[in-house]
Amino acid sequence: MATIQSADQLEKVRETLRAGVKHDLPSVLVCFGTGCQANGARDVAAALEEEIKKQGLAVNVSIGLKTTGCHGYCENGPLVVLRPQDVLYLKVKPKDVPEIVEKSIKEGAIIDRLVYKDVNTKAAIAKYHEIPFYAYQKRIALRNIGTVDPCVIDDYLINDGYKALAKTLTMDPEAVIKEIEESGLRGRGGGGFPAGRKWRSCRAVESDVRYVMCNGDEGDPGAFMDRSIMEGDPHSVIEGMIIGGYAVGARQGYVYVRDEYPLAVKNLEIAIDAAREKGLLGKNILGSGFDFDIKISRGGGAFVCGESSALMRSLEGKVGEPRAKYIRSVEKGLYDKPSVLNNVETWNNVPVIMLNGAAWYAAMGTEGSKGTKVFSLVGKVNNTGLVEVPMGITIKELVEKIGGGVLGGKAFKAVQTGGPSGGCIPKELADLPIDFDSLTKVGSMMGSGGIIVMDENTCMVDVARYFIDFLVQESCGKCAPCRDGLPRMLGILNGITEGKGTAEDIDTLNELCDVLTWGALCGLGTSAANPVLSTLKYFKDEYLAHIRDKKCPAGVCKALITYRIIAEKCTGCMLCAKNCPQKCITGEKKMPHVIDESKCIKCGICYDVCKFDAVMIQ
Amino acid sequence: MKKVKIVINGKTVEGVQDQSVLSLARENGMYIPSLCYNAEVQSSGGSCRVCLVEVHQGKSMRVVTSCNYPVREGIEVKTDTEFVRKIRKGVLELLLCRAPESSEIKELAARDGITEPRFFTDGPDVHLKNCIACSLCTQVCEDVVGVSAISMVNRGREKQPAAPYMKASNACIGCGACAYACPTGAIEMTDTPDARTIWGKTFEMQKCSVCSTPFIPKEQAEWIIKTTGKDRAFFEKCPTHR
Amino acid sequence: MDVTIAKVDEIIGRYGKTEESILAVLQDFQREFRYVPEEGMKRLAGVLDVPESRIYAMGTFYKALSLEPRGKHTVKVCMGTACHLKGANQILEAIERGFSVKRNHTTKDKNFTVESVNCVGACAMAPVIVVDEDYHGHARSSKVVDILKKYN
Repeated sequence: MATIQSADQLEKVRETLRAGVKHDLPSVLVCFGTGCQANGARDVAAALEEEIKKQGLAVNVSIGLKTTGCHGYCENGPLVVLRPQDVLYLKVKPKDVPEIVEKSIKEGAIIDRLVYKDVNTKAAIAKYHEIPFYAYQKRIALRNIGTVDPCVIDDYLINDGYKALAKTLTMDPEAVIKEIEESGLRGRGGGGFPAGRKWRSCRAVESDVRYVMCNGDEGDPGAFMDRSIMEGDPHSVIEGMIIGGYAVGARQGYVYVRDEYPLAVKNLEIAIDAAREKGLLGKNILGSGFDFDIKISRGGGAFVCGESSALMRSLEGKVGEPRAKYIRSVEKGLYDKPSVLNNVETWNNVPVIMLNGAAWYAAMGTEGSKGTKVFSLVGKVNNTGLVEVPMGITIKELVEKIGGGVLGGKAFKAVQTGGPSGGCIPKELADLPIDFDSLTKVGSMMGSGGIIVMDENTCMVDVARYFIDFLVQESCGKCAPCRDGLPRMLGILNGITEGKGTAEDIDTLNELCDVLTWGALCGLGTSAANPVLSTLKYFKDEYLAHIRDKKCPAGVCKALITYRIIAEKCTGCMLCAKNCPQKCITGEKKMPHVIDESKCIKCGICYDVCKFDAVMIQ
Repeated sequence: MKKVKIVINGKTVEGVQDQSVLSLARENGMYIPSLCYNAEVQSSGGSCRVCLVEVHQGKSMRVVTSCNYPVREGIEVKTDTEFVRKIRKGVLELLLCRAPESSEIKELAARDGITEPRFFTDGPDVHLKNCIACSLCTQVCEDVVGVSAISMVNRGREKQPAAPYMKASNACIGCGACAYACPTGAIEMTDTPDARTIWGKTFEMQKCSVCSTPFIPKEQAEWIIKTTGKDRAFFEKCPTHR
Repeated sequence: MDVTIAKVDEIIGRYGKTEESILAVLQDFQREFRYVPEEGMKRLAGVLDVPESRIYAMGTFYKALSLEPRGKHTVKVCMGTACHLKGANQILEAIERGFSVKRNHTTKDKNFTVESVNCVGACAMAPVIVVDEDYHGHARSSKVVDILKKYN
C-alpha cells in the first residue's frame, strides 16, 4: 500500500473513506468486551448473524470491541446496541435473537424485558444515552471506544484520526509544548505532574537522542481504564506519542504494556503496523521530514515496573528495579538519555487537545486539574465500570448518580482511590470534589483513577492489611524500608485482624509508616504507608474494636466472627449441610439446622449457598 | 568540574557539582554512617538507607540517601537532626530484623539505641544469613571484576545474591572480591592451603614457586592473563617474591 | 511441550539480538514450555553475549515467569480490590481445599497451577477466576470446584 505523503493527501484519503460509509444501514452492535464474552456474547453474535442472513436483511452486524469496548455493564452482558435507535439491550441470550430481529430491527419496537431498569426508581430506560450511567458522562478519552474499530485504521481516520498529527507537524515544537502546557494536562498515571512541563524539561536537555515512552503497565488493583483504551482505541495513544516525540525531539518511542493484557498487546501491534504502512510512523511522516517509530515491550508481571525508573530498566532488558531519581528521567532516563514517560490516558488526550486547542480543554475541570478523567468505579456499587467525567465531580455524585448507589441498599462507608499508593476516604467527605490536589490533601491520591466503593460490610483494617499484603508481594527488595518494613507492618496488621492486637500496635504502625514514607527509595515505597495512614486517620475506631474488644464490626475478619443459623429463617432445606466441607452442620430435614462452631473453618460456603438468608455472621 | 558551595550542619563547604553529599561530608571530616556505599564502585549505594540525611532547599525538605544525592549549589544538608535520627533508627531496626546476627548491624543499631528489634527476624530459610541485600557484591562482580558471576535474585524479602540456578557458577573466578566488599561479611569464603571455596565452587590455588604460599586461584590468574594479556610468568611467584 | 534446542533457538530467533528482547524471549519460553528452562536461559545468554547471572535474575524477578514447570491448566484467582471485597479469598480457599493444593503451587497430578494474581481488570464481574484464557465472573465458593473439574 502506498504511504500517505502529506497532510493534504491525508484529508483526501479521509474524504474518500467517509464517502464509502453507508449511514442509512441499521446496525446491531454486540459488545465483545471481556465480561460480555464470558457471559456468552459470541453465541449471541453468531445467532444474530445467522438470523439476519436467514431473513435476508440489510443490516450491519458489528461484533468485537468496536461496538462498545468494555462500557461498564459487564455484569449485565452480553450487551447489544441497536442503531440508529440508540437502544441498549442487557443480558441478551441467543434465544432472544429471533425476537430482536423480528420486532426491533424490522419493526423498530422495543422489547421491554431486555432494557435497563433503574435500580432505585424501577423505571425502564431503553435509550443508551439516557441511562444515568452514561447520561452524566463526558467522553473525551473514551471518545472512540464503542464507535471506532481498534483494528481498522480507516475507521480511526474517518473519525478525525491523525488530523491532530498533521496539524502538529506544521507547528513549531515549541508551540506544541506551549499548547499542552496551556491545556493544563496533568499526567494520568499517578502523580499528576504537568505533561507540558515534563516535555519542556526534556527538550531543554542537550542530547542527540531522546525517547518518549508510554506507561501501559497498569497495575493498581481496581483500575482498568488503560486496558480499555489500549484495547479499544490504540491509535489515539500512538498519535499522541508521535506528537509528543515531535515536540520533544525524539525519534523512538516505546509502549510498555502489562503482560496480563494480551488483547491490548495484540491491538497495539495491529495499530502500529497499520500506521507504519500508511506512513504515519516511520521515516518522513506526512512529508514533514520527521522520523519516528514505536516499539512494544511486554511487562513481566511486576507492579513496581509501573514506577518510571523501574519501567525504564525493564525496557532495557534488566530486572525492573527503581533507581534514586535525584537526577530526573527528563535528564537521564532510558539508556541515560533525556526521556518523557506518560501513561496511556495522558497520551490518548494529546490528539484531542491539539485538535480542539488548549482553551477548550482547560475550560473543563477544576482550577488545578483540567479536563476529564476516566475512573473505574468498582466494588460495592450498583453500576460498575469505566466512567469519564470532568475533574471536580464529587464522590457522592459519582457513587450515587452514576454508580446508582451502594449494592443491595447497604450503607456507604468509604471509597478507596489511588490503588496501593492511595487511601480510603470516608463517607463524611463524600462532597469532596475529585481532582489531583483534593485527593492528596485528604491523604489519598488520584493514582490511575480506580474508585473502589466500600460499604458497611467492608472491614477497613482488612482493607489496609490487603494493600500491605499486595505491596509485600510486589516490593522489589532493593531498599530496606520497603523490603523489610512492609512484612513487619503486615505482621502487625495480621495480628490485629486475628484478635492478637496490642495497645502499642497503633503507635508502632505509625512509626513504620514514617520510616517508609521518608526512608524508602522509590514511589512505591514512599507511598506504601498511605492505606494504613488513611484508615488509621478515618477509621481508628475500627482498629480499636479489633484490638480492645476483639470484634470485627464489619464481620469480615475470620478469627473474630462466627457463623450462625437463624432458626426462624432456616427452612431445613439441607443445602448448607450438603455443601459444608467440614460436615459440621447438622439438622433434620425441614427442621432448623445448627453449625458446630468448634469444627467450623469459617469458609463462608453455607452463607453463600443459603437461599433464605438464614446464615448470619456475628 | 564546576565548584559549588553547600551548607552541611551549618558549615559552608565547597565541593564539585554532582559529587555525592556523603563524599563531600567525609572530605570535611563529618561522620555519616553507611553500609552499601563503596567509593570505588560507581553503581553502589542507595539500598541500605543508613546514610539518610535531610536536604533543605528553599522551603522544602527531603530525606535522601547522602551516598548518591548530588551536590548542587544552594542546598543545605543536616545529617543529625532528631527527625532524621528517628528515621535512620527505624531503618536500622529493620536491618537488624533481616540480619539479627550481623555484628556490623548490631553495632550500628546499638549506636542509635537498638539492641533488640521489636519485630520478627528472618531465619536462614528466607535468605543468605547476615545479607542485607544491598547488592554491593554483585556490583563489584560486574563493574569492578567484570565477570558478572553473581546477581541479585528473587524479589522482596527473599532478595539475595546468588550464582545462576543456585548452582556453582561457571563464570566465577574465585577472586573473592564480593566477600571482601560485603559490608556485613555475609559471603562465605573458605581458604585452605590448597583450595578456596566460594559460591559452592572450589578453586585450586596457585602457589608461589619460591615460598609455596597459595596466593591466587588458578582460574583467576588464567582470567587475568586472558583479559589483560599479562605474562603467565607473573603468576608463578607471590607478590613478595616477584 | 518438551524442551528442545531447536525450539529454544526458534523462540530466540523471533526477536532481535538485543538485550531489549530478553524479557520477551523468556515469556515465550514460559508460554511454550510452561516454565523457563535452564537450557533456554543458557542458550539465550550465549546468543546475546549477556551474563547468565543477569538472565537468571530476571527469571526469578518477574512473576510471569516460573523456573518450575507449571500445571496443564493455570487457574488465576484475581486478588484485585473489588474481588477481595467480594470474597476472593474464600474462592481461593475453596480451590485449595478442593484440590489439596496451596496457592501458587501445582496440583500433584500436574493438572492445575493455582495462582493468586493481581487485578485482571475485570472488576465488574468480581470475584473473577481465569482458567487458561477463560474468564469466569461472579465466582462462588460453593461452585468453583465444579467449574474447575471440567478442565482435564
